Amino acid sequence: MPELARPLPLEDRLVLLPKNPGAFFVFWQFSESRLEAFRSAAFFPEVELRLVYSDDKTHASVHKAVWSSGRAYLPVPERGGNCEAALYALRNGAWERLLESNQAAAPEPASGQDGRAYASMEFMKRSQS
Amino acid sequence: MSSRGSLMFLLHAHLPYVNHPQDSAFLEENWFFEAVVEAYVPLIVSLERLASEGIRPGITLSISPTLGAMLENEALETKLGLYVESRLELIEKELERAQNDPALLRTVQLYRDLYESAAKLLHKYSGDLITPLKALQHAGQIEIITTAATHAVLPLLERPEAVRAQLSVAAEDYLDRFNRKSAGFWLPECAYEPRLNSYLKLSGFNYTFTETHSVGGPPDGVYSPYRTSNGVGLFARDAASSREVWSSRGGYPGDPAYREFYRDLGYDGDLEYVRPYLGADGARRPLGLKYYRITGAGKDLAEKQYYDPDAALARVQEHAADFLERRVKDVDGFYASRGGRPLIVSCYDAELFGHWWFEGPAFLETVIRRIRQERLPLQFVTPSEYLNSCQEPQEISPRVSSWGENGYFDPWVNESNDFIYPAVYAATDKMIETANRFRNQDLDNINARALNQAARETLLAQSSDWAFLLYIGSHSAYAQGRLEEHASNALKLLGEVIEKRVDEQSLAGLEKKNNLFHRLDFRVFASVSRF
Repeated sequence: MPELARPLPLEDRLVLLPKNPGAFFVFWQFSESRLEAFRSAAFFPEVELRLVYSDDKTHASVHKAVWSSGRAYLPVPERGGNCEAALYALRNGAWERLLESNQAAAPEPASGQDGRAYASMEFMKRSQS
Repeated sequence: MSSRGSLMFLLHAHLPYVNHPQDSAFLEENWFFEAVVEAYVPLIVSLERLASEGIRPGITLSISPTLGAMLENEALETKLGLYVESRLELIEKELERAQNDPALLRTVQLYRDLYESAAKLLHKYSGDLITPLKALQHAGQIEIITTAATHAVLPLLERPEAVRAQLSVAAEDYLDRFNRKSAGFWLPECAYEPRLNSYLKLSGFNYTFTETHSVGGPPDGVYSPYRTSNGVGLFARDAASSREVWSSRGGYPGDPAYREFYRDLGYDGDLEYVRPYLGADGARRPLGLKYYRITGAGKDLAEKQYYDPDAALARVQEHAADFLERRVKDVDGFYASRGGRPLIVSCYDAELFGHWWFEGPAFLETVIRRIRQERLPLQFVTPSEYLNSCQEPQEISPRVSSWGENGYFDPWVNESNDFIYPAVYAATDKMIETANRFRNQDLDNINARALNQAARETLLAQSSDWAFLLYIGSHSAYAQGRLEEHASNALKLLGEVIEKRVDEQSLAGLEKKNNLFHRLDFRVFASVSRF
C-alpha cells in the first residue's frame, strides 16, 4: 500500500469523508504526546471508531482499527444521512475519547446505476480493465 | 423549422497545472501540448469556421483556471511553439518516408495539416489561445464558464474555508481572464453535495451542472433545468446522449474506422530515427503520430490496419446523423407525452474530442452543421440563454453524486490514493490557521508574498488530478511527487512566516514555477463567522 514519502506535522486530526452510499473513509493523525502514549503502550493498540448520527447524536456503529494504520473504511450505518466519528483508545481499562471528526453526509443510493454513462475515456478504460 | 427541443453541449476543458521552467522537455508538459494541438486548436478552428459561415455553435466551454493559466504562460507558449516545430520537422521526414506508401502518405498529410493548423492559429493569436475564445464569447457564439481553482473534488474538502477559497479564487481568476463574471460554475468531476449551494450563491454563480442521478425523481427527469432552494440553477447531465458517445459497447469512438490511440510512431519507429523527438532520457514516448485504425474490438496492436481518413470521415457523418436522429426521437417523445420542449444536456471532457477521439472535433462540427442544413427541430442553447428564457425552474434538493465511476467518490478515495489526504488536510488546516492569524496584520512584502504563495501551493495540493492519476496507475510517481511537493511547500512557507525567516530565494523559485492566480490574497483562506 503506498504511503507518503515526506513526514507531516504531528497534529491531532480525525477526518470523515464520504466515499459512496455504502462506505465512509476516515483517517487520523496524532500529536507527539499521543503518539508517545501509543508507542509506550500506555494506550492499547486497538482503537475504536464510533459513528453517531449527527441529527440526534445517537449511536450508529463501532469499528475496530489498529492505531498505527491511520485510516479505515467504515460501512455507512443503516439510517444513512449525516454522521460523525470519534476515535476512542483504551487506557487502564477505560475508553478515552481522543479525537472527534467533522460531519459527513453519506450519499443516498440512486437507482438506475446500470450502464453508467462515462464522461471520461479514463473512467471507461478503468471500468473495462 | 422552429425547434421542439434544445441541446446544451458542455465541454469541460481541464488539465492539471504542469509547469517545469527548469526543464526543456518535461514529459508531463506534453499533456498540455498534445491537448492544444489535438483538441483545443481543432475546436477553436471549428468554432471560428462555423461562426464565419453564420452558423452559431451555441456550445458552452468550461475552462479550468489551471488550464487558463497554462494557456497564458509565456514560457509554456514558447515550448509549445518548439513542440509544434519539432513535430512538423518529423512530419517532413515522414512525408519523405511515406512517398511509396500511398495509404500511409494520406495519414501523414493529415498530420501535416493538423500541425500546420496549430502553428497558424498560434501565430495568428501570438500564442495566446484565450483571445479567440474570448472573442467567440463576446460575439455571443459560445458561453465560457469556470470551475474550481485547481479542480478539487469539493465534497472531499471538509473545511468550508477550503471550498470557499476554491470558488472565490476561480471567480476572480475568470474575471481577470475574460473581463466579466462567470455566470456558471462547473463542479469538478460533476461532484455535488448540498452544502455547495450556499458557496455557489455567495460566490456569484447563477447555475451549475449535476450528474443524472442527482435529480432522479422529478417528473421531467433530466429534461428540465431545476433550481436549489437558494436559487442556483441546476442542469442535470443526460446519461443517454453521453452513453452513445462513450459506451464501452457500440459507442462512436470505438468504431473500427477511427484512429487507434495507442499505436504511435514513438513506439513503432526505429529508435535512432525517432530519438531526436523523444525526451532527454531517450525513452520511447508517444509522439502524437498514429497511423493505424482501431480495426476491430480486441485486436492486438500488432494486428491494427492503416488508418483511412476518408473512411473515418464517412463514419463521422453517419455517427452525427445517428446522434441527431436519437435526439429528435427523444424530443418528439417528450413533446408527445408532455407537450413541452425538453432540454437535453450533454457534458463531456473537452480533451476527449480530438485527443482521445481523433475524429471528435469533426463529429461536433457535423452535429452543429446538420441541425441547420437539415432544418432539424433542435437548437443549441447555452445555460444563460436558457435560464433567461425559460419559466421559473422547479426547486429540488439534488443528491450527493459525481460523474465518476460508480457515481460517487470512489475514484478519488480508494486504497490506491487515500494516503494523500493527511497531507492535503495538513496543508489546508495550517493555511487556514495561519490566514486567521495574519489576516488583520500589516505584513511586509516578503511575508505577504510567502503567505500568498503558500495559498497557491495549498490550492495545488487539493487538485483532483493527483488522486485520479494514482487511481488509474498513470504517472503515479509524478502525481504523488506533485501532491507532496505542494503540501510540503505550503507547510514550509507557513512555518517560515510564523518563525520570521522567509527564504526569499526559495520563495522566488516557487513563485516562478507555480505562478498562477496572480492576484491571490492568502486571506481567501481565512474563516468567516457567517458564510
